[in-house]
Amino acid sequence: MTATPAALACFHCGEPVPGAAAFPIRYRQLEHATCCAGCQAVAQSIIDAGLDAYYRQRQQPADRAEAMPDELQQQLQLYDDHRLQQSFVHMDSPTSREAALLIEGINCAACVWLNERQISRLPGVLGVSINYTTHRARVRWDETRIQLSAILAAIAAIGYRAQPYDQARQELAQQQARKSAMLRLWVAGLSMMQVMMFAVPVYLAPAGEIDAQWLSLLEWASFIMTLPVAVYCSWPFYRSAWQDLRRGRTGMDLPVSIGVLSAFFASVYTLLTGHGAIYFDSVSMFVFLLLGGRYLEQGARQRAGAALEQLVRLTPAFAHKLAGWPASHTSQEIPAGQLQAGDVLLVKAGETFAADARVLEGISSANEALLTGESAAVNKQSGDIVIGGSVNGHSPLIVRVEASGESTRLASIVRLLDRALAEKPRLAEQADRIAGVFVAALLLVAAAAWLYWHFHDPAHALPIAVAVLVISCPCALSLATPVALTAATGRLAQLGLLVSRGHALEAMAGLTDVVFDKTGTLTTGKPQLVQVMSLAGNADDAVLLAAALEHASEHPLAQAFRCATPYQASDIHAQPGGGLSGSINGICHAIGHADFVALHCTAPRPVDADPALLYLVNGHAWLAAFRLEDTLRDDAASTVRTLQQMGLNVHLLSGDRNTSAAAAALQAGITTVRAQATPQHKLDYLQQLQAGGARVLMVGDGVNDAPVLAAADVSIAMGGGVDVAQASGDAVLLENRLARIPQVLQIAASTRRVIRQNLAWALGYNMIALPLAVAGLVTPWLASLGMATSSLLVVLNALRLVKAEAR
Amino acid sequence: MDNQATYNYKVVRQFALMTVVWGIVGMLLGVLIASQLVWPDLNFGPYFHFGRLRALHTSGVIFAFGGCGLIATSYYVVQRTCNVRLISDKLAAFTFWGYQAVIVACVITYPLGITFNKEYAEMEWPIKILLAIVWVAYAIVFFGTIAKRKVKHIYVANWFYGAFILAVTLLHVVNSAFIPVTMWKSYSAYAGAVDAMVQWWYGHNAVGFFLTAGFLGMMYYFVPKQAGRPIYSYRLSVVHFWALSFTYMWAGPHHLHYTALPDWTQSLGMVFSVILLAPSWGGMINGIMTLSGAWHKLRTDPILKFLITALSFYGMSTFEGPMMAIKTVNALSHYTDWTVGHVHSGALGWVAMITIGSMYYLIPRLFNRDQMHSVKLIEVHFWMATLGTVLYISSMWIAGVTQGLMWRAVNPDGTLTYAFIDAVKATHPYYFVRALGGLCFLGGMVLMLYNVLRTVTEGKAVDARIPAVAAHA
Amino acid sequence: MESLYLLIPLSVVLVFVIGIIFWWSVRGGQFDDLEGPAYRILHDDDAPQKERADGADIQKTRDADGDER
Repeated sequence: MTATPAALACFHCGEPVPGAAAFPIRYRQLEHATCCAGCQAVAQSIIDAGLDAYYRQRQQPADRAEAMPDELQQQLQLYDDHRLQQSFVHMDSPTSREAALLIEGINCAACVWLNERQISRLPGVLGVSINYTTHRARVRWDETRIQLSAILAAIAAIGYRAQPYDQARQELAQQQARKSAMLRLWVAGLSMMQVMMFAVPVYLAPAGEIDAQWLSLLEWASFIMTLPVAVYCSWPFYRSAWQDLRRGRTGMDLPVSIGVLSAFFASVYTLLTGHGAIYFDSVSMFVFLLLGGRYLEQGARQRAGAALEQLVRLTPAFAHKLAGWPASHTSQEIPAGQLQAGDVLLVKAGETFAADARVLEGISSANEALLTGESAAVNKQSGDIVIGGSVNGHSPLIVRVEASGESTRLASIVRLLDRALAEKPRLAEQADRIAGVFVAALLLVAAAAWLYWHFHDPAHALPIAVAVLVISCPCALSLATPVALTAATGRLAQLGLLVSRGHALEAMAGLTDVVFDKTGTLTTGKPQLVQVMSLAGNADDAVLLAAALEHASEHPLAQAFRCATPYQASDIHAQPGGGLSGSINGICHAIGHADFVALHCTAPRPVDADPALLYLVNGHAWLAAFRLEDTLRDDAASTVRTLQQMGLNVHLLSGDRNTSAAAAALQAGITTVRAQATPQHKLDYLQQLQAGGARVLMVGDGVNDAPVLAAADVSIAMGGGVDVAQASGDAVLLENRLARIPQVLQIAASTRRVIRQNLAWALGYNMIALPLAVAGLVTPWLASLGMATSSLLVVLNALRLVKAEAR
Repeated sequence: MDNQATYNYKVVRQFALMTVVWGIVGMLLGVLIASQLVWPDLNFGPYFHFGRLRALHTSGVIFAFGGCGLIATSYYVVQRTCNVRLISDKLAAFTFWGYQAVIVACVITYPLGITFNKEYAEMEWPIKILLAIVWVAYAIVFFGTIAKRKVKHIYVANWFYGAFILAVTLLHVVNSAFIPVTMWKSYSAYAGAVDAMVQWWYGHNAVGFFLTAGFLGMMYYFVPKQAGRPIYSYRLSVVHFWALSFTYMWAGPHHLHYTALPDWTQSLGMVFSVILLAPSWGGMINGIMTLSGAWHKLRTDPILKFLITALSFYGMSTFEGPMMAIKTVNALSHYTDWTVGHVHSGALGWVAMITIGSMYYLIPRLFNRDQMHSVKLIEVHFWMATLGTVLYISSMWIAGVTQGLMWRAVNPDGTLTYAFIDAVKATHPYYFVRALGGLCFLGGMVLMLYNVLRTVTEGKAVDARIPAVAAHA
Repeated sequence: MESLYLLIPLSVVLVFVIGIIFWWSVRGGQFDDLEGPAYRILHDDDAPQKERADGADIQKTRDADGDER
């Protein structure tokens, strides 16, 4: 982007258009430029379909569209196979089919609109709806009138990629849980409103003003309204209390259950005998407020989860199995779910690997961006490992499955993310333990209070015991920490930081030192063209020639040459590890390492040929040499400056030569540098810092630095440079934006502040409320209001973190 | 184009035009009775006497103007958001002609003194039955259209309209229970305090579900559409719907503060009225915040001005209402013109403005025009309407407080300081200002009629084609 | 006061009816996506239409320059 800031932006995707606008598009009688044939085709089909409103409504440019290879087109047709469809297509009736699709490339509401329109225009499509939040579509179609492949092709025609996917059982269960939680909360709320309605007059009226007949009518109505609350809404509390009891523990659901049940049955007793008091209003209010707190917490947790989930794409639905390999190359389609280790598969160009496998035949490259964050294609040849979920490059491969299903790396990423969500931070565990003790003590106090009052004033014994249970229900105490952590985790996920270890947030709040790794962390890790040395002819021209050769290549070095070029290269051949050769204007050209290009050139190689440089030759002359270097990230210097302003010591560790490390440090503004460091050196350096009392945050790319990351008090791995599954960082920075780090640290600090506030509040509240309740000064409904207010305050306080603007 | 490929705009057009017509009729009556209070000589004969015309004014603006507006917009919104034509053109046509018949019958019978003597439900029993039939037909058309919708989700505006239709059915049926005596005379089936309680359960919920829920439905569709932005929080709008539906039902007794109603029932009404503030303001904030990030549109778009000002008045009157339901405040405000002012801040500021804004959005679309004949006139209308409303409510507020204070003032010896006529004299100038405010508002409506007629004659009645959106899975 | 014998049972019944409506709408997925519907009504283009010269078809002409195809 920085290379051509002033360039014309593509009408469709907004990326810079190569100099000679070769792909024009007419829209509203004006000529617009697009950047490539793919975007041109997509924009044309959108406009032709009369869906151009998309361009007015969208808030973000589209993803760059790839022209659809015929191969892909044919591949889509495989989705029409009935046996394959069994795993993801639902049959409503003999002719109508329904499938869930995952659509990639949606980035604003207009995309959803565009896709819905595009799909619903197709004759034979019975229905389509796309969820704005999850970007998942449900499509129904008439089997006799249209095939699934046609639907997928229609989506591809407007520049999106759709894949059918098998709605995981877990996801369905989660959805179910959310729905029932909502229903329970709502029923409790409805009941609360109604019961309050019946109860308020009784509280307001002076005793005896309401006739007994009206009173009993009101009470019976309250009973009917409370019944669903006591039975249906409180069910989760009973269940969890029972589970705790069986394991011999006391959780906070135990006093909740006891409180609800005793208050409810005491009221029923009163209703039947006329002796005692009625607490139906307290019961419903208590349950409603409790469920409300949990619902909020669950929501925050799921929002955090949704951010993580977007990382994970799905493995393809099927694979081509070569049963008779190597004797025969006839392939057979089998569902990916049935793959087993040892199966031999054919993976065509552009397809997604269905499982982790080892290459047996063929040379290609794979895009593992999804799994490793490495956007450049990785070369794959015989003996290499390919990862399930990554995408095969330009040519077919024959691979043997090594791991499938749950044992793939993709699955392990999913598990990592699950763990990140499920792992209870130490702080929260502590709070739980304290709450457990507290609950046990509370039960004793309640029992003691009941006994005491039973002998002194039996009429008040039960209400007081209930009030004790309710008022000091340790919700606030056990919510204080987790709700703050959940909210902060969600907020950080929005910022692009995945916290995978529970203690990370806690540790980030009290740091003294930040240590950066250089390559891939402080620098982009992607080489850029820094110097062109002309050997013969014009240097600028050499760059354009190189660009033409590299145009189609996905190699990391090729990215450095991406710019608009008037030249067209044909017959391009890639030699993995060497370079590229091709024909420009009929003349053979080659670019690559000196050893490689020497094969394509009759002229003798320069005496000072440097293996670190790339050379361009044209058959009879050495034209130019290029120096590519890793450059500092745009936001490195400002991030370092901000961190220093926050009072942190910033260090740089690098395995590179002294000069290069020093230069980077100077640029970034770091004074403490350690160059030519082996992993052992780095570890020593870190431990030395820690020995001096420092609390260290290590930021690294996650692979070379694994031991260092593990040794630091807390670590952040750059998600863009590493296999997420193997990251040893406590947190992963997804978008490689260093500027997020100071923000993250600030959020961590506010999280700690919020947790402390919450704990202080919860403890203080209980210290005051409990004696009051034991003394019989609090009625149950007031108690539940007190309990709810304290919990609500805690939750609201924590929710401030969700919106926390990192200043 | 009467087929399934188009929306049924015909019935929407009919109701929309009648909204404007009945708006002028109802408000003209309002200005007339306001003038009668200033100049009692204007009470000509028995038929045009204040006592008879007042009922016609309230029913005229609420049920004729507001009702037509609600039905027009609900038919439009339900079709557009469900992506399907109304379930039955014939039944829809019946609702139009039936509803107009009910209104015309009221216009004839009320001045003749043929009434049921229940506020906001003065029509005699034959008309009540006709209205019940028409309303059931309306419910069938509305819910039938929802049932055959092509979009899985039912947009929140339809929930509000649906609650409005159902609640009004229930209210009308319960409150109208009658014992007929002759063709044009019947008595309420309830007696004494029960009758009063039922009447105000009805009266209050008519405000809640007719004048609030229904118009909120309008708001939730037309504010986002006119602003070109999604509603601030859709989630909040759903919560708003459920919270409002519950709370409203129970605040009714506040209309009977300091009456024969048991004290505890009054207190109950008070508590729930105050709670009502929360959902009301939730909705208002949701509506107004829809414009966040696009406030500049308010400068140039008079339709948006109408809609947003309506929301502001909604916020004001839903704050004022709960305050007035507090018994100590009510002790001052009850039976004074403050109540009248409060009602009109809701009726003119909220109901009329949101309806007018929605009509200005709707009518050009119904007649295949890009916009109204004159946007300038809309702007003028907006300022006249705002000025009229402000004159009205401020004068009534002052008059009401004056009355309340004068009525309760006692001499040291315990006798009343003022005779009733003293308070009447004191409020006379404010009655004049009120009439002026009403006239101003009516003047705006006349401009609207002109603007609408020009738009209609320049335009062409075309039924929009239903976009080829297949059913949602 | 006898009205309470009507109003209170009525309110209880009403609450259960409302409860059933809510249950139906949750189960039917009415609240699955609480962002999309807000955008969906905006994407419904209700701008006026103009008939083409031949009157055969109604064509959207929202763009001022009427780029018809």
